[in-house]
Amino acid sequence: MYGFQGTMLVIDLGEGKVLTEDLDERFARNYIGGVGFGVRLLYDRLTPRVDPLSPENMLVFASGPLSALGFMGSTGISVVSKSPLTGLIGDSDLRGSFGRNLKSCGYDVLIISGKAKSPVYLELTDGAVEIRDAADLWGKTTAEVQSTLSHVNEKGLSILSIGPAGEHLVKYACISGDVRFFAGRLGMGAVMGAKNLKAIVMKGGKETPIADPQGMKDLIKQVHYEVLHDGSCDTLSKYGTWNNIGPSNLKGTLPTKNFQRTTFEKIDQIDGEAMLNSISAGDRTCPGCPIGCRRVVKGEQPYRVLPEYGGPQYESVAALGPTVLLGDALAIAKANELCNLYGLDTISTGVTIAFAMECREKGVLTPKDLGMDLKWGDPEDILQLIRMIAFREGAGDVLADGVRRASEKIGKGSEEWAMHVKGLEIPMHDPRGKKGIALAYATALKGADHESAMHDDVFERENALPELGYVKPMGRKEYQGKPLLVKKTQELWGILSDALPICKFPMAPPRPLTPGRLVSALRLVTGWDVSLEEFLRVGERIFNLGRLFNVREGADRTLDVLPDRFSEALQEGGSAGEMITRKDLERMLDEYYNYRGWTKDGVPKEETLIRLDLKNH
Amino acid sequence: MAVTVRFLTAFQDLTLSKKLFLVEGKRLDQIIDELETQIPGLKEKLLDSEGKPHPAYQMIHVKGNIQELCSKLDCPIGDGDEIVITSLISGG
Ligand code: SF4
Repeated sequence: MYGFQGTMLVIDLGEGKVLTEDLDERFARNYIGGVGFGVRLLYDRLTPRVDPLSPENMLVFASGPLSALGFMGSTGISVVSKSPLTGLIGDSDLRGSFGRNLKSCGYDVLIISGKAKSPVYLELTDGAVEIRDAADLWGKTTAEVQSTLSHVNEKGLSILSIGPAGEHLVKYACISGDVRFFAGRLGMGAVMGAKNLKAIVMKGGKETPIADPQGMKDLIKQVHYEVLHDGSCDTLSKYGTWNNIGPSNLKGTLPTKNFQRTTFEKIDQIDGEAMLNSISAGDRTCPGCPIGCRRVVKGEQPYRVLPEYGGPQYESVAALGPTVLLGDALAIAKANELCNLYGLDTISTGVTIAFAMECREKGVLTPKDLGMDLKWGDPEDILQLIRMIAFREGAGDVLADGVRRASEKIGKGSEEWAMHVKGLEIPMHDPRGKKGIALAYATALKGADHESAMHDDVFERENALPELGYVKPMGRKEYQGKPLLVKKTQELWGILSDALPICKFPMAPPRPLTPGRLVSALRLVTGWDVSLEEFLRVGERIFNLGRLFNVREGADRTLDVLPDRFSEALQEGGSAGEMITRKDLERMLDEYYNYRGWTKDGVPKEETLIRLDLKNH
Repeated sequence: MAVTVRFLTAFQDLTLSKKLFLVEGKRLDQIIDELETQIPGLKEKLLDSEGKPHPAYQMIHVKGNIQELCSKLDCPIGDGDEIVITSLISGG
């Protein structure tokens, strides 16, 4: 089988058992890899309604066929599990070399279940799997784990680890990869912590066979040429994802003060130019990507920020900046660094702190409850609260469960400003100014996810994505056409990118990774005679199976909702007057379910399942 | 006819980090021609190989809270208006 090692590694930490299973080629073609494998395996093997933090939950690390080589971030990996934050299917992807390294150890997939009796870490090589004692690592930050375990080797080693937040089962704890890549969302780090698993070290030397290496080389050369010469990636290369900060503010889609508004008065201190001129210390890239969008930051006074730990990307800047009214680039970088070291998702952390600040502002929580004043934009309080959340100290304990649960516990009307969908905190694009993203937040498998569907802005011009039929422009604030757009791009951008895997950024039009090129890459690597139609159908199949997983957990239309705050019109900025009422959303949902072939309640119909070869699920 | 052109997270190298430019023109193409005299090399990057606005950027006509996307070069621009040239948001 080309593009795969053909083996899955299955580890039960409770029993200390290590097994391997063959990866069937038919299974591989039906689900491609990454998130596709993860969703299928969890659907088949997980007992419904299992507690996400119990030993029974499984944590799947899945590479895809493209992980075999370095092509626009394709060496990454998907982490899939039942999320402790949402109680539904959860997946989070990491760039870096983790997928390639898992393959180089001889496995396409790693499935972990059970709970070790005491803290352990895994060491995978191409000859052995060791479950090692991690007592000395427990309590350490991700950076400390990295430096302790790096001695195992020098080059070509990948380390996935959790920080104290994962150990303390913070429901939005992340998994860190080499301290600068993160499976950020949905609490995958808490699942690892619940298994007493501190880290996974991978280093192997196995090659994965590729069907047409020369054809792949030619494709890579062509894509790289366009990336460097067609102008489509220039601002991403120059500013990284900071290229979104200023435009989001201009368009009135930058979440500010816990989504109370969408323009930030201190934008000049944190936009792309400001970040570049103040805290930037260079850039990094992922294997096989000439874009190099990953920023490196550093600072000395008043906050020491080290360049090793990964700079904040757009989402982190916005969540730890405007959302909490912090307009100081270095303080934002410090907050981001702390989240990275403690192993916290920056988006959920920022939105949760903003929730607490609004509780404080409205008198629902007092300084005594919080152990601090917690005024909007106070950097010291923000940094302190991040620590308290990571270690579940004081008020950090209730906040460590995310805004949905925190608001349920705190009550007093705080549900009104708990900004989440299905329990996942809303990311950094206010959906009132982008109606497609509104629907995407409401219907994504994992709750409010900004990478689940392509953004409306991309479709404001002609010929944005002809291969999916998008030749006419659609305004970002319009409703018309969005349900079908969301469906199609949820499958392509949301799912298939994580199945191959490949970075989403170069896939966003007008950048060069078109759907046709992704199919070419898949054909060249696997040798499968796959068409665009078959490829897109795999995306639809995975999405529907994920929905079936959620339905089995009790999800239906009633969970496909948005916070009420979005039904209030924005008062200022580039999206002034925009809102999404329940009625607006219901109308979009009706149309969307219709395109999906789901019932009015949001359950896939039998004919849909037959069409997608999911009849017997 | 003076129009303000503001660069937002775009072309910092070409503009030497200057963000605001005042130019004369009644239509977008005239404004771009005028800008080219002040920022040599801009036009080649701002327009694609067919001479249309490059899809990686947006030129937004701002009138107070009202924003309109200028997707055609004959887009009329009024005296005192503002054009913001910015990178396209693509998520992430
Ligand atoms: S675009 Fe950025 S995140 Fe994506 S592969 Fe390239 S460097 Fe990595």
